[in-house]
Amino acid sequence: MKRRSILKSVAAAASASAFISVSSLAAWAANDTLKIGFVGVTSGPAAAWGTSNVRSMQTRAAWLNETGGVTIGDKTYDVEIVTFDDQKDPKRAIAGMEKMAQEGIHYVVGPNVDDGAAAVRPVAEQNGIIYFPYAFPKELYAPPAGNAVLGMIANYQSGPAIYKYLKENKGVNKVAFVAANESDPLSQRDGGITAAKALGLEVVSDNVTYQVDTTDFTPVLTPVIQSMPDLLVLSGVAPANAPQLIRSARELGYQGLISTETAQDATVLQEGAGELANGFISVGGASTPEIASDTMKEFVDRYTKMFGEYNDESNTKVYALEYIVETLKANPAAIDNVDEFKKTMDTFSAANPYMKGDSHLKYVGTTSFGQKRQVFVPMVVNEFKDGKFETLFIAEVD
Amino acid sequence: MKRNQIIGLALFLFTVLVAVPLFIQASGRWDFYYTLTSVALLSIASAGVWLTFYIGRINIGQGAYALAGGYFAAIMVTKAGLSFWLALPLAGLFTAAVSVLIGLPILRLRGVYFAMVTLVLTEVARLTALALPVTNGAKGITSIPLPSGIASLSNVKLGFYYVAVALMIIVFAAMYRLVNSRVGHLCRSLQQNEELASSIGVNITYLRIIAYSISSFFGGIAGAMFVAISQSIYPSSFQVADSVNFMLNCFLGGLGFVFGPMLGTLVLYFGWDLLFQTGKYQLLVYSSLLILLMLVLPNGLLSIRLSSILGGRK
Amino acid sequence: MEQILANGLYLGAQYALIALGLTLIFALMNVLNFAHGQMYVLGGFVTYTVYAQLGLPFVAGLFASAVTLAIIGALIEYFLFRPVIRRSSREESTMLLAAGIAFFLDAVILLVFGEKQRGVPKIINGVLNWDFRLIMPYDRILIGFLAILSIVSFILFMQYSKTGRAMRALAQDRVAAQLQGVNVDRYSMIGFALGAMLAGLVGGLLVTITGVNLGMGGPTSIKAFMMVMIGGAGVISGAIAGGFILGMLESIGLSVLSQYGDITYLLIFASLMVFLSIRPQGLMGKPWG
Repeated sequence: MKRRSILKSVAAAASASAFISVSSLAAWAANDTLKIGFVGVTSGPAAAWGTSNVRSMQTRAAWLNETGGVTIGDKTYDVEIVTFDDQKDPKRAIAGMEKMAQEGIHYVVGPNVDDGAAAVRPVAEQNGIIYFPYAFPKELYAPPAGNAVLGMIANYQSGPAIYKYLKENKGVNKVAFVAANESDPLSQRDGGITAAKALGLEVVSDNVTYQVDTTDFTPVLTPVIQSMPDLLVLSGVAPANAPQLIRSARELGYQGLISTETAQDATVLQEGAGELANGFISVGGASTPEIASDTMKEFVDRYTKMFGEYNDESNTKVYALEYIVETLKANPAAIDNVDEFKKTMDTFSAANPYMKGDSHLKYVGTTSFGQKRQVFVPMVVNEFKDGKFETLFIAEVD
Repeated sequence: MKRNQIIGLALFLFTVLVAVPLFIQASGRWDFYYTLTSVALLSIASAGVWLTFYIGRINIGQGAYALAGGYFAAIMVTKAGLSFWLALPLAGLFTAAVSVLIGLPILRLRGVYFAMVTLVLTEVARLTALALPVTNGAKGITSIPLPSGIASLSNVKLGFYYVAVALMIIVFAAMYRLVNSRVGHLCRSLQQNEELASSIGVNITYLRIIAYSISSFFGGIAGAMFVAISQSIYPSSFQVADSVNFMLNCFLGGLGFVFGPMLGTLVLYFGWDLLFQTGKYQLLVYSSLLILLMLVLPNGLLSIRLSSILGGRK
Repeated sequence: MEQILANGLYLGAQYALIALGLTLIFALMNVLNFAHGQMYVLGGFVTYTVYAQLGLPFVAGLFASAVTLAIIGALIEYFLFRPVIRRSSREESTMLLAAGIAFFLDAVILLVFGEKQRGVPKIINGVLNWDFRLIMPYDRILIGFLAILSIVSFILFMQYSKTGRAMRALAQDRVAAQLQGVNVDRYSMIGFALGAMLAGLVGGLLVTITGVNLGMGGPTSIKAFMMVMIGGAGVISGAIAGGFILGMLESIGLSVLSQYGDITYLLIFASLMVFLSIRPQGLMGKPWG
């Protein structure tokens, strides 16, 4: 290329970009951009976890921007979601967190699993990033760690509540646990066993595991069912495995209760196990018609319009972005200073738009972590019935 | 060494040790440090896989040794209170020793059988890490202190970058030396015909074990370094996907070239990061490019150079 | 005991069918098809779309899966593997291509079918319960039966049809077959299409029992590799034997070792490694596959 033509093309590119930036300025009446990050898994076997995160963030951001953006202090911002797919690899998750730091982002949702959440901790602390993992290890949230905020209810919080309820109301005495042979489910199983024993329940089977790629769960479940439990706990079960496990257990003639402490999707259960899944107990967000506010219903509508199909896991995952935005509103100085954010967390309180009645957004976790490093999400224990979740009971975490 | 090679080497050292940090300083892309650190470490592990290719074995089990090395270093640092800088070479020696035990039976296998057994080995390593008490099972080992020296640096990223790059330079220099030594020539004879090599008095069992244990040594130190950076390790820190990627790095760079794994890792790992902008189409674009690359250059990226040199000689 | 055997047989039948396609492609072209699991998943999603979404009969879904995958397989062989094999200096290079195709199919499946687990309505209801000694749902029995039927018809096809004989000749000795006038290119393509078709077929069959999601591809490929290894790479009967052995191993292992819990799979995998160290070519493979 000759020098003149290079100059020409540079000039053309410059004027084009100037035009684009001018026109975009005109379209978005001078709103600044507030970037919120996501680092998690959106491809491969666990894609469902991260995808429901990303999609609820994108739905909520588009909605906020459509209604004029969010006002923090004296400025109005448009929310932009920056996503990074870590492929469920902790090494990639670190790269993702570095990327977020590079983009000047201070608030990140994710990662989705224990190893990723532990791996990004040094980066987040070095770069002043608050992140909201969906992982349960306590040392992420208890001092001296301080930058992670648990984005959901941990199994060691919901498990005891569920077992207690079932013991008192359904006469459950004998419990059996089944888990995939991976870190997250096994840790959750161990937590569940401790909780069940503390309640005086008899644990009849506690060491049967399965590979996540199992195509036939009958051999896995046969010895478990033979131990005659009243309650079968599927610890940390992935939404893909839940219907198959339920189906196999029922087909083996199991009559008792089945429960899990993770969020599930009603459509997946209905397609995979049909009426055999009736009575299956799981934990969700503000999903069931009894407690969902009009805002929640509109969120589900918008999500469905944007992505074709809703995912019930988003009932919990809608909250993280809401907490970030609302906390920033409460303390505008936190927008680029996470220490301000941490200070605000202790006292923060705002109305919960997703739930009917007098519910509040606030940070909790003092009992479990010794400091407020968990978002307050209503612990809605659901029972699956004919393709829908029905509220069994609602509990709270402190 | 020929003059061209010396110039090439000087240029390479200048790039990784001076030009890259200067570029990052100037452009403000601090996140590149971690990406390039990863590339350096993953290319060390891939170099090990390349070395097993060199004796005619397709190795899809390097993830197992990276995991073992990582755990060994983590346990030495947290439980025995050893300095990380001592634990790092020990982790390499540990994995090399393990690989001798495992290699003795399985190195008799060839072709796809060896490939598949090593693939299973990665899964066995993960399950072992889950089952053993010393590895803390499913809960992993977390809150591992930063290595002394690096912890006191103002820029931890830069520290890790230099350590990783230095390790990479040493590893590839050692590989280059090895391949061009007498042992290297013997290894090449194994690649072509083991029976023939054996019949002229080459101790093939011994050679195979040597190559395999060096390969595993590389895997072990790469794994240990990653543990220092992430300050944590879980059974899933290195898994089957990693083992497969190590192998793909070698293919992509080119099996006939010592520096193939380095280039392959750079392109495969960095490529994914650069496609970050494509959002949900990231995997689609990435895999399409991979397939295209394979169609254009089935013998690896470095084969361009080779064919142009051959073309020039005509 | 009856239960364990029945579980093993059912698992074995489905495993064997998965391994058949993989070993066929390997025998003909020396290609280790990393994308086999993804083809299986794609087959599952096609049946899901036809049967559950469009409401057509299940058999139509199966047929659609088989045809779609056969076409995809033929295209992949013609446009991708053939040029790469011709030009690469080492045949192992096709592994990178196969992995690229696996990633590509993963991406396409994610974009087209989404990230959720999918399932179809049961094809038959009811459970066979023989005095609690043997419990087997009817749909499982039917699928197991269909799988065995497919295996038998595949063997008959390979044994007695002209195409089958040509492919066997090709697998035994490529050069000799070529000299005998077998059109290598043509039969490689047919073989690849057939292998892909088997993957699609088993995907369609199993979607009725296990459902399907995009993450099943990679692990399925690895399992199929293991079966092929047990039986011996590139040998049809070996793949079938490998499938049934792995099925039995899992079924027996899971019940006998259930009290040891976490280490069941560790033992299964470790014993596999020991077996292969003792018998490096599998049960009936050519040495050095």
